[in-house]
Amino acid sequence: MSDEDYSEEEYEYEYSDAESNAGTDDVSMDARSQEGEEEDADDDDDESMTDTNNNNSKKKAASDNDGNNGTNKRRSTGSFDSRRRSGDNPNAAPVGGGKFDFDDGSGIRMLPADELKPIMASQIQEATEVLGVSPSAAAVLMREHKWAKERLFQAFFDNPEKIQQKCGVLARCQGGCGGCGGTEGGGESGSSKAAKRTRAGTKKKHCEICLDEDGFDADEMIGMPCGHEFCETCWYGFIANALEKGPLCVRESCPQAGCKELITEEEVERAAPDLLPKFETYQLRSFVETYGMTRWCPGPGCEQVAVAPGSGGVFADAGGVASCNKCETCFCLKCGEEPHAPVTCKDLAMWQEKCRNESETANWILANTKPCPKCSSRIEKNQGCNHMTCSGCRYEFCWICMGNWTEHGANTGGYYKCNKFDVGNEGNDQSDAAKAKRELDRYLHYYKRYHNHSQAQDFAKKALKETEARMVLLQEQNTDTVWTDVEFLKTANEQLVECRKVLKYTYCYGFYLQDAEKRQRFEYHQEMLERFTENLSELSEKPLREMNRTEVVNQTRVVDRFMKNILEYVDNGMED
Amino acid sequence: MSTSARRRLLRDFRRLQNDPPSGVTGAPMDTNIMLWQAVIFGPDDTPWEGGTFKLVLEFTEDYPNKAPSVRFLTKMFHPNIYNDGQICLDILQNQWSPIYDISAILTSIQSLLCDPNPASPANSEASRLYNENRREYNRRVREIVEQSWVEDES
Repeated sequence: MSDEDYSEEEYEYEYSDAESNAGTDDVSMDARSQEGEEEDADDDDDESMTDTNNNNSKKKAASDNDGNNGTNKRRSTGSFDSRRRSGDNPNAAPVGGGKFDFDDGSGIRMLPADELKPIMASQIQEATEVLGVSPSAAAVLMREHKWAKERLFQAFFDNPEKIQQKCGVLARCQGGCGGCGGTEGGGESGSSKAAKRTRAGTKKKHCEICLDEDGFDADEMIGMPCGHEFCETCWYGFIANALEKGPLCVRESCPQAGCKELITEEEVERAAPDLLPKFETYQLRSFVETYGMTRWCPGPGCEQVAVAPGSGGVFADAGGVASCNKCETCFCLKCGEEPHAPVTCKDLAMWQEKCRNESETANWILANTKPCPKCSSRIEKNQGCNHMTCSGCRYEFCWICMGNWTEHGANTGGYYKCNKFDVGNEGNDQSDAAKAKRELDRYLHYYKRYHNHSQAQDFAKKALKETEARMVLLQEQNTDTVWTDVEFLKTANEQLVECRKVLKYTYCYGFYLQDAEKRQRFEYHQEMLERFTENLSELSEKPLREMNRTEVVNQTRVVDRFMKNILEYVDNGMED
Repeated sequence: MSTSARRRLLRDFRRLQNDPPSGVTGAPMDTNIMLWQAVIFGPDDTPWEGGTFKLVLEFTEDYPNKAPSVRFLTKMFHPNIYNDGQICLDILQNQWSPIYDISAILTSIQSLLCDPNPASPANSEASRLYNENRREYNRRVREIVEQSWVEDES
């Protein structure tokens, strides 16, 4: 890509693009500065000690804007352009540029965290070149804008000092020698303070942290770009202590009380080089968490990162399913939860929140055991199938509604019909209490079934682990069978896990499905999937000697088709 | 044992003696320099005038990179002071800086007495009275001041 690609028109275009995407905060900020008004202090930190600094820079910024009303954009575009052209390395391709050179077009990629370093570096390098600031300042600016570079660039060129101040890199950017952050340099206020600290008559410098009476030579002191200096020992202690705070250490500010200038890898490298790797790990972690196109694998202890394909910088609403190449965890790229089709991330979050709030009630109602509806022996469900047979009285019933199984089983010509919420007879009572009770009943109806499938999913997962042993046994039963002949058992079991998962989320989806007509159609599909899943569950849990391979294989196929049907159906907006 | 925290606390003590701030005193316990007792006097011309309020400060080996834990021993009635004497003050939490010393801590607490921050109430009754019924608030503060003398004698 040549410089010409960064023509003014293109940037104008990008600006308007960014404007429409920008958060409300920045839009209003933009409007304020364009009107040349004094910014209110709302979006500044309400730290009283820096008030004076804030005001000064605000006045300065405001006067910069005088006479430029409405032309800010063009002016800043121009300055941007000249910066680009006068850059050290005019041939450098705009690295990153939102495109991923490692994206092979196959969609989501799983990478070890370390391999994201070059991506982060290229993003920082681009900001360094465009904004004309040091890499350490660029890293802070990008991080504070969640790596949305268009938003940062626009805000920066509208009012550089305001953004630098807000992000804690004002002195680092204004000091001139961004790269060195020298002890002698720094802003005006900084050097005057430093001068005050050096007592008259002595060459020794004093450290305000340890208050050592003997003082220090200049080379024993390490300074921030803001001019605040401390002795090497205190700096080391300060950084070690900051790192103990964990990921937040990347936002640690100057040790001086009230000073908002952030410490960066430059200070860490000078004062505590042995701690630099740890600091950089936290920087990378922050990058993964805020970049918007990356997500940590939620697998326990797993350090792989999922990277979204494409260049949009925003996950599509449907997200995608990432599958970790190390720990095999599958998760939704957008929200990090287990893949949850057909329900959306938003509805799932609402549902989980509701379940947390209602868990007391639900738990009470959903005690782990149920009494047999006939003989009242306590029954603990330890397999996935809802077709229960009481070991005491041989009564067959449905675990969900506790009704007689003869009204459910497909073999009797009946239907498995346990998925619809029946409003019941008291549907006309409009009192608040009755409404609340109906709403709770409605929730419990869905929660019970959600919870039940969730448990069945766990059972099926557990069974999957034992399947291999069953496969070996099955193979041994008939001397002439080969391994591929018994693999159907594993396939069936994997299908079961998948179906239970989808069924679980269909109840979450159903709970939020308002349209009565759509719900009816949805529930029909759900019912079918449920019925066939129950069948498969029953068939595959049979003792090995009763196992009928053809039956299981066919049922697996049928169930798979129904599962895909229901997901497609929802995807297509449930239009017949 | 000489650690950087202890060395710094000794310097704090020396500074406090050589350049004592008005209205506050403090000293380490005889046996343990990591544990200090301090007294803040109620500022003149305020409802707190005449009060003598005792505090205890507990330092860790991370001082001054970490703030000490500070607690009033005297019973207090103040919007930002909990019933158990804990203080809700930004510089003792997220706004802590390693350049603060004991004298800075004590003077900050002293100024908090007359200048409460109603936005972060730790004592809801004190907070309510401070906002809604200043006369009653002042009366309750003076009660606390008188109690502080009684506690001194016991």
